Amino acid sequence: MRLKKKNFILGLLIILSGGLLYLFTINDAFLYKQPIMRITHVENGKTVGIVDEFKNHDQQTSQRITGNILNGEHKNEKFKVHNTYTKSRGMDQKFHVGQLVFVNIYQKKDKQTVSISHYKRDTYLLMLCWLTLVLLFVVMRSNGLRSIVSVILNFILFLIIVQLDVMWNITSFFGIYAISAIVFTALTLVLVIGWNKQCLVTFAAIFFGTATALLITVIAMWLTDDKGMHYEALDFATQAPKQLFLSASVIGLLGTVMDAATDIVSTLFELKRSQATVSFKQLFESGRQVGKKIMGPLINVLLLIFFAETFTLAILYFRTGNSFGYTFEWTMSLGLVQTLISGIGITLVIPSASLLAATALRGDD
Amino acid sequence: MTTMILLTCILALFMFITSGRSGLYSFISLVINFILLFITIVLIAGGVPAIAVSFFTGICILAITIYMGNSGENETDIAFLATILVMSVMIVLIIPVEHLAQVQGFSNEDSEEIEAFNLAIGVNFEAIIISTTVLSTLGAIAEAAIAVASGLQEIIEQKPDITLQELRKSGQNIGYQIMGMTFNTLFFGMFGGNLALFILLYKLQATFGYYLNSKVFVSETMLVLYASIAVILIIWTTSELMVYRLAKQRKKNSK
Repeated sequence: MRLKKKNFILGLLIILSGGLLYLFTINDAFLYKQPIMRITHVENGKTVGIVDEFKNHDQQTSQRITGNILNGEHKNEKFKVHNTYTKSRGMDQKFHVGQLVFVNIYQKKDKQTVSISHYKRDTYLLMLCWLTLVLLFVVMRSNGLRSIVSVILNFILFLIIVQLDVMWNITSFFGIYAISAIVFTALTLVLVIGWNKQCLVTFAAIFFGTATALLITVIAMWLTDDKGMHYEALDFATQAPKQLFLSASVIGLLGTVMDAATDIVSTLFELKRSQATVSFKQLFESGRQVGKKIMGPLINVLLLIFFAETFTLAILYFRTGNSFGYTFEWTMSLGLVQTLISGIGITLVIPSASLLAATALRGDD
Repeated sequence: MTTMILLTCILALFMFITSGRSGLYSFISLVINFILLFITIVLIAGGVPAIAVSFFTGICILAITIYMGNSGENETDIAFLATILVMSVMIVLIIPVEHLAQVQGFSNEDSEEIEAFNLAIGVNFEAIIISTTVLSTLGAIAEAAIAVASGLQEIIEQKPDITLQELRKSGQNIGYQIMGMTFNTLFFGMFGGNLALFILLYKLQATFGYYLNSKVFVSETMLVLYASIAVILIIWTTSELMVYRLAKQRKKNSK
């Protein structure tokens, strides 16, 4: 009975925290420097049909938006702004009364004009974070929250490394990411496994898997003379594209190799614990069995992650009269190569993790 | 020969060397999944409703990922059922949140890449982002479902007199181990894919507030969050289904 009461209070607290967070995020305009406008009135104009040269039919509507500024020096002032949206909403948006938007206010002679800069989305992002944490807590209790710590630490580290890369601005910035990959691995492993022999074995396996896969990739690129690799198609590239691509690949590769190596090594250590007499050969075979099971699903995870990113762009290419081959080459091939590199990393880490763990465990007796 | 073809050959070879025939199956399932995804894009571009096509593709991909390479045993069925259940729940979550957050289409940071295009191409970008979100969470849950189901099956076989409560506890333990690493895989997968974007945002001296509200950052982070939520749900669902099945079997045996 007491347990039930405790759960009830806990549930109430969780719901209350969600409500408070929601109320806070819809009223947090005072935290932002950029002016935020609350839309109080929307007047929809006429909708016109448009057709482009590829016979794509769409509709365009204009809106007259009135709103109040919520923060900064223009607080409580009223502004009118114009907006157009298309039916497909490729880069525009249909606004409704009550929505919050970031705006830029310009001084034009003695008149002030306003333009919408972007939509306020922090509420939804933070509420989703909250939901994730709550579920994690409900299903796993405090254990679950601990597993998120390593992700948060990695995220902070990642931001620091990006900052270093931009600050130092050296030509061979790939080195920064290669070294940071080693730091990422060490940090995550110590947090998840703890500082012991198992951690060292896993680290060695990951290092071998990642480094060898990368080496193979570089050799393959050199042998084929980068044929079909459109590094210039890399989104948002502001640095040497090939190095950027390799850096990104190392980070993606690391995650999967880490996943596979930890699974294998921890299973073998567990096996040794429950069956002290297990032989080297048995250990190695078990490691390979585990590897076999996880290899397929793991590479599929990556395929789906990388592929999802290309959906919108690929559809844009198709709709504007590009061929299958051209669209594939320019929107999907880089993501696919990243998946292939990670896949190679996984296949390499399976035997190496099994071998290293089996050897390390043999040394015990 | 292009770099991609060479790397594909290397991957196929390595998969065969390390895992023999089951490696080859995994490789084939990868190829089939790729073809399915490609067809999905072509169909959506051709005007077929995006969410319906993706739902169908999603089920096909799940079936292929789960059943190929894993011999069709009882626990595989449970893993499949659990992923379908969680996928349905995720769709119910994703559709309203994506509608509210308005992260479809392209962002201001994309503009250089797409400036040659006219974006009024008569497709529903919101439906497209919903489909891609659902599909990208699928891979992660399929993997976790198999791992939990086969782990618990192993425990039931080794210790046939295990109590339901103990089995539930084991499910949690296995789930905890899987989760920590899956989170990292998702995290690195996403940042690996978006390294260039982060460098750009940093160079533009984006403030923390900008990160929290910009379309491109919010949509990428939400992808990882959806996947995490789905993984948590799948661990719980799979172990509950395994417990339920064991309870049902015992009831049947005692009669």
